[in-house]
Amino acid sequence: MKKGTLIIIVVAVIIGCALWLKGAYNSMVTAEEGVSAAWSQVENVYQRRSDLIPNLVATVKGYAEHESSTLEGVVEARSKATQVTVDPEKLTPEALAKFTEAQGELSNALGRLLLLKENYPDLKANQNFSELQAQLEGTENRIATERMKFNETAKAYNTLIRKFPANIVASMFGFEKKGYFEAAEGAEKAPVVEF
Amino acid sequence: MSAISRKHGFTALKMFSAAIAMLLWCTGTYAIPAKPSPERLVNDFAGVFTSAQTATLENTLVAYSDSTSTQIAIVTTTDLEGYQAAEYATRIGLEWQVGSEHFDNGVVILVKPKTGRESGEVFIAVGYGLEGAIPDAIAKNIINNIMIPRFIEDDYYGAVAGACSAIMRLASGEGFEAEEEDDTLAIIIAMVIIIGLTILLIAMAKNGNGTGNSGGRGSGRTIYMGPTMHGGFGGSTFGGSSGGGFGGFGGFGGGSFGGGGAGGRW
Repeated sequence: MKKGTLIIIVVAVIIGCALWLKGAYNSMVTAEEGVSAAWSQVENVYQRRSDLIPNLVATVKGYAEHESSTLEGVVEARSKATQVTVDPEKLTPEALAKFTEAQGELSNALGRLLLLKENYPDLKANQNFSELQAQLEGTENRIATERMKFNETAKAYNTLIRKFPANIVASMFGFEKKGYFEAAEGAEKAPVVEF
Repeated sequence: MSAISRKHGFTALKMFSAAIAMLLWCTGTYAIPAKPSPERLVNDFAGVFTSAQTATLENTLVAYSDSTSTQIAIVTTTDLEGYQAAEYATRIGLEWQVGSEHFDNGVVILVKPKTGRESGEVFIAVGYGLEGAIPDAIAKNIINNIMIPRFIEDDYYGAVAGACSAIMRLASGEGFEAEEEDDTLAIIIAMVIIIGLTILLIAMAKNGNGTGNSGGRGSGRTIYMGPTMHGGFGGSTFGGSSGGGFGGFGGFGGGSFGGGGAGGRW
């Protein structure tokens, strides 16, 4: 009789542990999926910016043909930034830093491109150009928003996998810490588009 | 004596600066104004509207929100707490959850009035669901052509009311191809289902009352429906969401923002 109770207790404990493990594992999977989703939103908005560039460059070229170095700088930075992709499974701090750096260079090149309008009043007055500028400005806002959301999601995930005892499950199944977007500093600060 | 009074003065100064630091710390932590309670659409923290103007705006916007579910929130503030206008407006949209959860159809119009030294700033933040109906370039147009000319003349109400009516036209899809059709269809279907269910419930309740004593016919059904009917006859399920008082704003709905919209300064 006593042995029976013991067995029941052991079985209950094992079942309890299994249930907890299942819960912990599933919540980590959910959180990781959330981070991936947030990341794809980040990529979307960067892609959106990238898509605006050919039009913008073409418009500026029509008015400021001689500024070939600035124009080429943008095209080059864009192609470089497109090459740096991050595997959504491996959102490590290093990968994210690399990505941010490449996109930051593009931001700088774009900033220089937009400055050109000061020297070319016709360009500044161009309807198409001002619309592209408004779109670019909106895209920079979207980038900032999606980065903020990504950081929040990543933070929730990182907190989840680092808390005891969930961290044991995390290391067992290889859930790794996700990187954050660092606060804008110098190089990667979005260009301030003034009108 | 003088030493003592100076000491007192010093302590007072210390306390005062501590209080200031505390205040700064608090405002730093809660930079974005908290969701108003009771929830309302017009939040004139800067005090640029008269109370009649606020009431007119609020009524118009609540009526619009009731009929289309699109929520336009207006926030005026004298201090952006160090944020960019775009970020401030987007954060308000996100934290107050302006717009319905399903359609993300919220708009936040943020106005920081011009003061002596600082230029005025305005931003229209557009929820995810309205980015198609109100693209950034259009929002920019509204700001440049409708709002800023009136801001310059100190006509804050005219600027905001003008922007609201432009946004309401756009969001309703007048003259613009909006993807609202599917949405309206969904709303209509939902309404039909809800009304149908209500009628059914009422009919059943009446039936239950009518045959109260015998209850023979649908005994199985009566047992099944029992808890619902006992727990507050009829409208309890409806009263819950709209119980804010007659004609009042039903509350923000859970809309999300992605940074869309445009801003300007004067």
